[in-house]
Amino acid sequence: MKQLVSAPALFVEAGICLIAGLLLAFLYAPIDVSSMGFSQKIFYYHAPIAETALVAFGIAFVAAIAYLRTQDLKWDRLGLVCVRLGLLFSLLVMITGMIWGKAAWGVWWAWEPRLTTFLLVCFLYIAYLVLRSVVEEEQRRATYAAVFAIIAFIDVPMTFFATRFLPEGLHPVVISAGGSGMEGSMLVSFLISMLGMTLLLVALIRRDLAVEDLKDRVADLKNTIGG
Amino acid sequence: MAILRKDLIRELRTREMLISMILFVLLAMVIFHYAFTVKEGADLTYFTGGMLWVTFIFAMLLGLNRSFAQEKDERCLDGLLLCPVDRVTIFFAKTAGNLIFLLIIQAVAVPVFTLFFVERSYVGDLLPFLVVLLLADVGICALGTLLATISMNTRSRDLLLPIIFLPLIVPVLIAATGATTLIFAEGAGFGGLLARVLFLLGFDVVFIAAAYGTYDFAIGE
Amino acid sequence: MPLEIEVEGLRKTFGRREVLKGLSFSLERGGFLSIFGPNGAGKTTTLRVLATLLTAGAGMVRVAGHDVRDDPMPVRRAIGFISHDPMLYLDLTAQENLRFYADMYGVGDREARITELLERLELSHRRHDVVRTYSKGMRQRLAIARAILHRPRVLLLDEPHSGLDPRAIDILDGLLTEIRDEHTFVMVTHNIAKGLEWGTRLMIVENGRIADEPAAGVDPESFSAVYRERVQEGAVL
Repeated sequence: MKQLVSAPALFVEAGICLIAGLLLAFLYAPIDVSSMGFSQKIFYYHAPIAETALVAFGIAFVAAIAYLRTQDLKWDRLGLVCVRLGLLFSLLVMITGMIWGKAAWGVWWAWEPRLTTFLLVCFLYIAYLVLRSVVEEEQRRATYAAVFAIIAFIDVPMTFFATRFLPEGLHPVVISAGGSGMEGSMLVSFLISMLGMTLLLVALIRRDLAVEDLKDRVADLKNTIGG
Repeated sequence: MAILRKDLIRELRTREMLISMILFVLLAMVIFHYAFTVKEGADLTYFTGGMLWVTFIFAMLLGLNRSFAQEKDERCLDGLLLCPVDRVTIFFAKTAGNLIFLLIIQAVAVPVFTLFFVERSYVGDLLPFLVVLLLADVGICALGTLLATISMNTRSRDLLLPIIFLPLIVPVLIAATGATTLIFAEGAGFGGLLARVLFLLGFDVVFIAAAYGTYDFAIGE
Repeated sequence: MPLEIEVEGLRKTFGRREVLKGLSFSLERGGFLSIFGPNGAGKTTTLRVLATLLTAGAGMVRVAGHDVRDDPMPVRRAIGFISHDPMLYLDLTAQENLRFYADMYGVGDREARITELLERLELSHRRHDVVRTYSKGMRQRLAIARAILHRPRVLLLDEPHSGLDPRAIDILDGLLTEIRDEHTFVMVTHNIAKGLEWGTRLMIVENGRIADEPAAGVDPESFSAVYRERVQEGAVL
């Protein structure tokens, strides 16, 4: 069982799921009969990436609380890794979202709830990284980063809510999200993609954690040598 | 509360922060006029809420930096931390102080703004307007105070605050500008504004709770 | 004699650097501990941990019978801290500064106490002047008033004599003499003469550890010799 969960295996599993999801999306799931046609297929990646990004930030949120309680820096490292990955995934969300937008509606950008929320999310977590970069001392940096990660994560649903529901009075939301309510074949493809993405996230988290650990050990060695 | 009184006395004596912020706000309005009326007779009615709140948020950024700079001078923050008071009490006192300053500035700015940009009389909607104002202010001050506490301890403190503050305050901005523009442009009672008012209230409650839980950490060390 | 300060295995790390590497000492009530050592040795850090301004990485620290980490409030009430930063609000008057701190500490006889201290420190004539107009010596004196306003049992002093003119030093010494009984002191200093004059316990800290604890009453020359021997300037940190 341990074999299945080890790092390289995870990548392989993730890869399999993702490719399977892709194949299913293209061959198995029917073409969307509503307005968007073939381009709707990007949804099978776009949405899972979005959810995975949020999962990553959620993990960072939990890690932040754990750090504040235990003062153990390993939580801080987890938080950092998750935020970075979450940011990466968020950028992908925006890119796939824009591609989809271009294909489906003919515009590269629209000020609609999900794109704008993720745009803000990107700025939010870039701010997290900036915050980290201006604090030199380890414990303090971890503390401030944790506080910010907590606040930021609470802000995300707030932002989404505000962008989706509040402008109603003045200008209704023109573009609505892709079809909810999926029939069987679509659902299967979607879920497999979801699983694949999540596995990919976990695999990446483990790899990044290992990289950070290595970096630390190198730094320690350098210190003892007197570099 | 002693801290609040201290901050108020200090500010009233020097008036540095208040004057700068008021000047900034008034200047911003003038700049907005020139920036947006490129076309002859351009109608800015639906921009009014936005202009107002953008101005207040940026003014607050200035104010927050100052309000904590004084604690950093002379190591007064240590003096505060040595006192047998809960850290959270410090948070509430600072937030309340910032809120009062913001309200003072708004008391000056809003009438001037109305004079410059608002054509409709909204006296009938004054109460909803004030409620929105107050709720948004609380959110801005609470979040701002928490973040300023963090940023003041970092290397590039003035530069950092806008970066960490602005993304977080966007929901408040959306709700406040929507409500304010509605009031200025078309007039709306509580009914039309309900969603936004409730949102602001929710935002305030949630973030004050978050600040309550984390302020100990933010101000420590 | 009950122990007013107990420290055991105190460790503190800043980033990658371990500043305090397991300090252990204690001080009985009424004692006066003088801490010497080169810059960067960890003296000020130790003092700040005692003052609840920093949290220890590991180890036990008790002041006035309370653990500084688990129970900081009573500790804060019991200590007064004097450092080279006066911790005064420059745009407030002396009276306003003291009133503020008196309120924060819950000093009952606020006005009387403030008046008494201002007189003792010879600042009464300037009580309504804004601190920005004070000279350094005056600010330091006001800082002393601030520190003892709430009648703390323990006084923590971080190089209190540095930067003071002779008059201010006299006033400080006079004040310390007056409150010497019934109070416990920990003083970090580079001023060997003063440190030896006051200290009932001496401690040399170097590189995060206690290098030596000479007996009190030693004369300055012997002490300096011991100091130089124990503290290797330029050691690899």
